[in-house]
Amino acid sequence: MAEKLIGTDIAPPDLIAKITGRAKYSEDFRADNMAFAKILASPMPHARVRRVDASRALALPGVLGILRAEDVPQRDGPREAVLTDEPHYEGEPILAIAAETEQIAAAAIELIDIDFEPLPFVIDPLESLRPGGPNAYSGGNLFSDDAWSEIKWTAEDFAEIDAGRMPNAEAVVEWSKGDVSAAFAASDLILDEVIVHQSLSHHPMEPRSNMAYWENGKLFAHVSTQSAQRTKYAMAGMLDMDPEDIVLVAEYCGGGFGSKISGSTIMALPAFFSRKINRPIMHRVTRAEENYIGRARPGFQSWLKMGFLSSGKCNAIDLYLVEEAGAYGSGDNGTAGMVADLTYTPQNMRFRAVSIYTNTPPKAAQRGPGGAQIISMMEPILDKAGRELGIDRLEMRMINAPDADVSFGPRDSQLTSVHAKEALRMGAEMFDWAGKQSLSGQRVGSKVSGIGIGLSPYTAGSRGFDGLMLISPEDGKLHVHQGIGNLGTHSIADTARPAAEILGLNWDQVEIVWGNSSRGMPRSSVQAGSQTTHAHTRANHAAAMDARRKIQEVAARTLGGAANAYRMDNGVVTGPGGRMTFAQIAARAIELGGEYDGHTLPDDIHETTVPAATGLAGKGLMGVAKDNYGGEGGIYSWVAGFAHVELDVETGVVEIKEYVGITDCGTVIHPRSLGAQVLGGSIQGMGMAMTQRWVFDPQYGVPFAKRLYTARPPGILDVPPNMSWGAVGIADPQSPVGAKGIGEPPVGAGAAALTTAVADAMGGKCLCRTPLTPDIILAELEGRTRAHGRLDMHVG
Amino acid sequence: MGDMDSVELLETKFSRRTFIKGVIAVGATATATSQFLGRPGIAGAQTMAGSAARLITLRVNDQDRPVDVLPNETLAMTLRYRLNLTGTKLGCDRAECGACTVLVDGVNQYSCSMLTHQVRGRAVTTIEGLQNPDTGELSTVQQAVLEEGGFQCAFCAPGFIMSMTAMIDDNPNPTREEAAHALSGNLCRCCDYDKILTCAMRAAELARSV
Amino acid sequence: MAIIRDMIPDFDLFQPASVDDALALLAEHGREAWVLAGGLDSYDWFKDRIKRPKVVVDLGGVAELNGIREVEGGLEIGAMTTLTEIVRDARVRSQYPLLADAAEHVATPQIRNQGTLGGNAAQDTRCWYYRSGWPCYRAGGNTCYASAPKAMNREHCIIGRSRCVAVNPSDTAPALIALDAKMIVRNERRPNVYDAEDFFIGPSTDITRMTVMKPGDLLTQIHIPAAWANANFYYEKIRDRGSWDFQLVSVAAAFQVSGGTISGARIAVNGVAPYPLRLEAVERMVIGTEGDEAVATEAGELSVLGARPLRHNDYKIPMMRNLVRRAIRSAV
Repeated sequence: MAEKLIGTDIAPPDLIAKITGRAKYSEDFRADNMAFAKILASPMPHARVRRVDASRALALPGVLGILRAEDVPQRDGPREAVLTDEPHYEGEPILAIAAETEQIAAAAIELIDIDFEPLPFVIDPLESLRPGGPNAYSGGNLFSDDAWSEIKWTAEDFAEIDAGRMPNAEAVVEWSKGDVSAAFAASDLILDEVIVHQSLSHHPMEPRSNMAYWENGKLFAHVSTQSAQRTKYAMAGMLDMDPEDIVLVAEYCGGGFGSKISGSTIMALPAFFSRKINRPIMHRVTRAEENYIGRARPGFQSWLKMGFLSSGKCNAIDLYLVEEAGAYGSGDNGTAGMVADLTYTPQNMRFRAVSIYTNTPPKAAQRGPGGAQIISMMEPILDKAGRELGIDRLEMRMINAPDADVSFGPRDSQLTSVHAKEALRMGAEMFDWAGKQSLSGQRVGSKVSGIGIGLSPYTAGSRGFDGLMLISPEDGKLHVHQGIGNLGTHSIADTARPAAEILGLNWDQVEIVWGNSSRGMPRSSVQAGSQTTHAHTRANHAAAMDARRKIQEVAARTLGGAANAYRMDNGVVTGPGGRMTFAQIAARAIELGGEYDGHTLPDDIHETTVPAATGLAGKGLMGVAKDNYGGEGGIYSWVAGFAHVELDVETGVVEIKEYVGITDCGTVIHPRSLGAQVLGGSIQGMGMAMTQRWVFDPQYGVPFAKRLYTARPPGILDVPPNMSWGAVGIADPQSPVGAKGIGEPPVGAGAAALTTAVADAMGGKCLCRTPLTPDIILAELEGRTRAHGRLDMHVG
Repeated sequence: MGDMDSVELLETKFSRRTFIKGVIAVGATATATSQFLGRPGIAGAQTMAGSAARLITLRVNDQDRPVDVLPNETLAMTLRYRLNLTGTKLGCDRAECGACTVLVDGVNQYSCSMLTHQVRGRAVTTIEGLQNPDTGELSTVQQAVLEEGGFQCAFCAPGFIMSMTAMIDDNPNPTREEAAHALSGNLCRCCDYDKILTCAMRAAELARSV
Repeated sequence: MAIIRDMIPDFDLFQPASVDDALALLAEHGREAWVLAGGLDSYDWFKDRIKRPKVVVDLGGVAELNGIREVEGGLEIGAMTTLTEIVRDARVRSQYPLLADAAEHVATPQIRNQGTLGGNAAQDTRCWYYRSGWPCYRAGGNTCYASAPKAMNREHCIIGRSRCVAVNPSDTAPALIALDAKMIVRNERRPNVYDAEDFFIGPSTDITRMTVMKPGDLLTQIHIPAAWANANFYYEKIRDRGSWDFQLVSVAAAFQVSGGTISGARIAVNGVAPYPLRLEAVERMVIGTEGDEAVATEAGELSVLGARPLRHNDYKIPMMRNLVRRAIRSAV
């Protein structure tokens, strides 16, 4: 019998390349005659280029050319272009120079005589909402229906805000359900809080460097991107060209976390520049540039009102979010509202939000977008209610977490499965929640212990993508063609495991084909939003079932007997007429042609799968199918995080002593990789809550925490040397495989476990702000005046 | 301010060296007379007069590699763009992330933040130099990482592996805490620290059993 | 001139093999020369293209600047001795563990493997306005951006401001002061010996420099006097992250104790002033006491007398006060 693959640890097929240095990320490729591009970045948060004189730069020996905004497509409104003459944040690329070497290109940038007209700017969305406040764009601070407008709140609104109350101010997004005011009237406890969540950069390890060249009208693009197949089409859109004329190479991606979902705008720069000067172009992106163009999670300034019954049940939520949308917009607020409703099931909720353009680097989804922020912000408030009502904090979550019959959000969304309470129970046991209660508030020397808990859901799947695979007559192996990306989740391999099991193969009989669009990629989900594990175990399951049927039919047509009487194991098909190897089956499939070798394709596969499958036709037995398994409701995974911290009350320093993360993400495909996702995501959340900083000078509108040592992502000494994880492991009933994604939910769990643990160590005092750095904790403990206003942003 | 006693004390120490005044000539000089720099492979042909001092021989992964290096060039750039050893990554170029970590005479250092001219005559080991070139056998650390399924995006992996290599040489029996300290000059943004420490402990265990 | 913060501009590189040769080069090139020790501060300036020396004098080949020697009256540490060598040196660890402790708190293992004691002590400030190339007083301009009413100055000073409000970022500097180290600075003319606390200067002395050293000067040795060998030491550094971080506030202290009372004390704090700050009044106050909680508390309060916070760094007052308290508590 072939080995059991689902639920076992395997070495990812690309691991040897990664640990020997052979794995090639985009900056590792070289092309003959390759030249180097450098960008001139805006020194101001908002400006217009008045004049550029590049003559001295172009006269420098070794300089090959200049690329200006006029050389690349420009679109109206807050839509990012590769280069612009009206930058909307410090660091936005204005122009690029190409030269024989990076030294020359950098020297040439300095020789450019450029004159900017400074324009009004704003970095704090509340400032933009003030009467007469500045706008990030000349046209306004709000863009809808393809037009700019202004949204300004009234002096009365700000009087409420200054008094620490939720304003009844004009919102752009608004929904409600139930009878919110009646519910609050019935509440036994109402908490009213002002909470700030910082914005923060993604800072993947690999800056988004890219290289491109053209050959015979074809574009060869080496791109740093989370997704592969979808990035090819994104690139084609940016260059307005036939996607089939692009060879997109994206074998490895050094982290994205939402910032490189379909690549990024800057990935087109080498393509445009190479086309202009007819040389391969490498654009090595620096860390400081990565901070500017590499995306950030949007912060929230918010007012939260939560009502509770004496039983501990949250019965009403009124949530108002002001989102810092950066130069090109952001939509985290919508998910934040949904996640709040899902996690606390109030039945009565009003959600309002405004997302305001600011002159700060562009925002994008960052692992658990919207959800991670809101969980980190709201969990300490739930704890506060528990304290006031005399109910254990774990119990508060058991009371409020959803069951299978949940309906949430403005459209009463349903879920495919939910086992949040099982995750809480399992975590409480592993962490010894009951036993650790005695640690809460316990002081030893200058250190006070705090115990925290965070429950975090997030979407974890999508449906309807295609699978594409081929059994080769040469090696008899299953070649699974993956159009998803390879950013370290191991899903290029793990989503192929169901296919191998269906076909009775051992793992060494499977080859993963990925990372180069010329090798054939089916229509795939973007590698983002925790989609791929669910979406592509389904798609590969469907394609494997197609391959299985074809193998049986080929065997029956060759050897006789009924097709369904043929069994397969270890690359051999056996049935009434005898046996054939997969290699023989594949060779026979090519002889038979038609659907067997991909010359005839299913009608329902996506139009972008067709060229990939057609390119593979005649090369073996093809399994190709759309995921038609269907399903109802949203697919969500959960993580419950538990933390023990020690707060040094003399310094404000918090040390994390222990962390346990438990997930409900359906069937476990790859335990070790899942553990890495749960703990890694949790640590990212800890960084979000505790160490990471995003600091702007408000007078000049420019960022300072733009390097790693100033932005402070968490390091190996910021977390305990031993951490634990677990999985509920209950299959999602709506997938034939049962697996749900895991990337997003741990971030909110890790963050909230710390925001709640720190509050616990402070005797239940919630600072209602991130990051919880030693300075603000110590100032609070010492009863000193806060260094900043309750709603100040970008103070890190 | 310094009292005379210690000045005198110290002057007697210096005097031995101070009085042996050699020629004023310096140990080595590299000049930046040419800004124009050829690409790898054709560098020699395009090298201009006065830059001969830039032609140096580096000892990298047990091989002597002649290479034309600017005086202001970092080791990471030389490795990546002249010697095509792209396993050494540039994550920050500012000695902050550790992705560029290599061994210089067995010591882990940030290759982005040292001049190539500073490693003349010293043994440089990169990630490409760990695997046995004849047998293909992985190094102890690589083997441990393979067994434990280490790293996610793995952009940090070469740097971490070099630091682990230095670590097991220095302290073959670390605790997880000690391993974390030894690896604290390397950043992993996937935050796969728990598994990285497991890899490091496994590497130490393998090293001890050899 | 447009700005780009990438790639080191051209320079001529000199790699002398002796101190004399290095001094000759520094004398010859004057203000156009840059001394390269471990380089971890230098490369930032170079890659940001803000400091653009024509000549770089790399001390890596000067063997006589390396190593730790026992000399009469203490230890002599070559300025180019790496921080890792200091951390691991048996004599430092046994007699002057304060210095090993401070050195071990610097950045990361790789940086300690390359960074030198001299370079760590003489490094430039990390004020992000200054390091971003803004034309502030320290950069030769005529304003201080960090002390502006809305400025971001969480990391800046609470004591000793004089136009500039930046702080000294060195982890080893307060330890050198607490150990009463002597800094030997040479130039072509003569060697000078400075007490560590005088080696570091504030903006009121010269706003463009962090130390007494001028062009042509070279820090060659650091002498650790035996007077403070085997004292009771205390070192603590508060930072945002567990590695690669500068101090918010740090304290280094040495105490001599006889018969249960403090007979000698040297205490220095860093991260609070433009220079590592020796707390002489606190030292005087604690000598003769048992360093109990009441003394520690009083000492802490005394240490922050006159401290003046900027908008975002008021927290440094309790942080410094508490660190001084902790140091005194540990004394006996």
